[in-house]
Amino acid sequence: MTLLGLAARTTARSTAAAVARADQAVLGRRSLVGRLVWLAAGWSLMVLAGMGFALTAFFDQAAVSRVDQELNDLATGLYAEATVDPTGQIKPPAFVDERAQQAYSGKYWQIADLPGGPHPRALADSRSLWDAVLNAPKSALDAARNKPGAPVYYDTLGPAQEGREPLRAVALMVYLPGHAPPVLFMAAENRSRLDKDINRFALTTGIALVILGAGIVAGVILQVRVGLQPLFDMGREVADVRKGRALRLTRRYPLEIAPLAQELNALLDHNQQVVERQRTHVGNLAHALKTPISVMLTEAQAHPGPLADVVTRQSGAMREQVEHHLRRARAAARAQGSGERTEVAPVLDEIARTLERIFGDKGVRVDWEAPDDLFFLGERQDLQEIAGNVMENASKWCRHRVWAEAREISANRLLLTIDDDGSGLAPDQRQEVLKRGARLDESAPGSGLGLSIVHELAQAYGGRLALSESRHGGLRVELELPKAEG
Amino acid sequence: MRILLVEDDPDLSRQLKGALADAGYALDYASDGEEAQFLGETEPYDAVILDLGLPKVDGVSVLERWRRAGVTAPVLILTARGAWSEKVTGFDAGADDYLTKPFHTEELLARLRALVRRATGHASPTLAVGALRLDPRAARASVDGEPLRLTSLEYRLLHYMVMHSGRVISRTELVEHLYDQDFDRDSNTIEVFVGRLRKKIGSDRIETVRGLGYRLLPLPGETTAT
Repeated sequence: MTLLGLAARTTARSTAAAVARADQAVLGRRSLVGRLVWLAAGWSLMVLAGMGFALTAFFDQAAVSRVDQELNDLATGLYAEATVDPTGQIKPPAFVDERAQQAYSGKYWQIADLPGGPHPRALADSRSLWDAVLNAPKSALDAARNKPGAPVYYDTLGPAQEGREPLRAVALMVYLPGHAPPVLFMAAENRSRLDKDINRFALTTGIALVILGAGIVAGVILQVRVGLQPLFDMGREVADVRKGRALRLTRRYPLEIAPLAQELNALLDHNQQVVERQRTHVGNLAHALKTPISVMLTEAQAHPGPLADVVTRQSGAMREQVEHHLRRARAAARAQGSGERTEVAPVLDEIARTLERIFGDKGVRVDWEAPDDLFFLGERQDLQEIAGNVMENASKWCRHRVWAEAREISANRLLLTIDDDGSGLAPDQRQEVLKRGARLDESAPGSGLGLSIVHELAQAYGGRLALSESRHGGLRVELELPKAEG
Repeated sequence: MRILLVEDDPDLSRQLKGALADAGYALDYASDGEEAQFLGETEPYDAVILDLGLPKVDGVSVLERWRRAGVTAPVLILTARGAWSEKVTGFDAGADDYLTKPFHTEELLARLRALVRRATGHASPTLAVGALRLDPRAARASVDGEPLRLTSLEYRLLHYMVMHSGRVISRTELVEHLYDQDFDRDSNTIEVFVGRLRKKIGSDRIETVRGLGYRLLPLPGETTAT
């Protein structure tokens, strides 16, 4: 978010707003994983449901046809064994079926004729029927009548369970010799056991299929997760680049997304190049102006007069402009967020070494202290500029000693403290020195462009600069800066 | 006093020549890197003013070549580039002072005077133990003429050991010399620094005297050049 903040400050508000909108658009879409999983789940649901219905229907048919076969055997048996006595009376066979002997047992037979109405009239029946009549719907009777000799199967209600016993029945219409009207041989079986079997089968199949479906969905989730892992990895790597933990993508990606990684790296490189080119360009221009300004200043000094005064003043203004725009260019380049990270310890060391050499006459000793694994989230040049200016200032105004210390204060902040043993600054002077435009030729401790550059740089990094009194007597400068995650 | 001025801008060099002549310096002038390198290596100058942006060979390379060739004259770098990264590069290449353009001529002259005074103020500017040489004025060290890259603490450690070469120096003594009372360090860190220093200057140059401390010695067969 620091980088976003930077961009907003240094470029334009609208850019930040556009980025935020784009973020929302990206986050608003349903996830790819979700899409793949839903698709797979929907498809499996359809297939499994279809399978469940087909299986149940098939079982149902098979079970019913077995019962039908038994009923047909019974009816055919009745037909085969039945005799017609000389008076035209039909005599049922004397075979014994245990269940047909018990009242309302669920197994019934009946020999009937159709005296004209829709209801068959029983000529003989099983004891189990007691005084009830096996009925048949008109459609079944019609079908039996139309196809004498062929069994017609149908569902009906039996006498048990107060007349609501579900029955599977068969009707076989035949013409018996010696008996003019057609005779109806009927057999029925309670189908509640059958129904229970069918239901149980449907339930078991359903449960098995649901488990199978859940397994398939879990498999798909796993497959999608594992399959898309490289994409998640890439997301993490890009985040690392943004957070400054990496400069580019380094993992090996699968064939399909390797081109994407390559393009991302090329984009990062290109970005870096643009930043670098822009910086170099502006730097060259600004630096090229410095020699002519120096020449004009010296020349004006050598020939005092009104013209020389104007030249001196204007050259001074030009110099400030050049410095100002150099800093602006650097800030703009910085806003691009190359995500670089800089080791703090070596920077402090080289600055200490350099300052001890610059202020060798004075015998300045610069001590520094920083953990090896402390990283500044930003460009090396900027950290050099920040630490260099503050430490140079301290070296200028110290008696003999300068102390620099960097440490971690939170997961993404570091604190750079610089102390000296000079005479320090009064509290009201401290705010004064941070203001821009202070003169280049410093006349009081801490004043001058040095600290205002540091102030500007620290602000560009979302950092904080504070001045206080050092326990060594001089000025203490505290800088809070972004820290890269180790 | 004989000065070498290296500057490619004709107007600036004309002004500087005038000011330096007025200040009483004898002046040689080079307008590109090749010429500067040649003059610096062949003539004995008391100080050099070196611009960094030069045709043919850039100023930092010229300076590095001089230092490698053993040129010890103090060098004041004159450059438009005032960023700290460039300053550090300049000093690491062997510069003694650094002035950013645009500048006032008076400031240049003052810096030059200080530089010459500093260079001539020491009777024997370099310390040597065998092939190991230390230039306290410029805070530089070299072995067989090859410059060493030392951190500020390592340099300080080496400086103290060179100053007391041949004598056994205890760890406590080194701790006391290298750190403030403020830094709460135990003497184990000294071992780490000595180890690092050994890697850079050659491990046989620092002898460990068991239970007592360390001693800096020339390698067997080496004679100390002065």
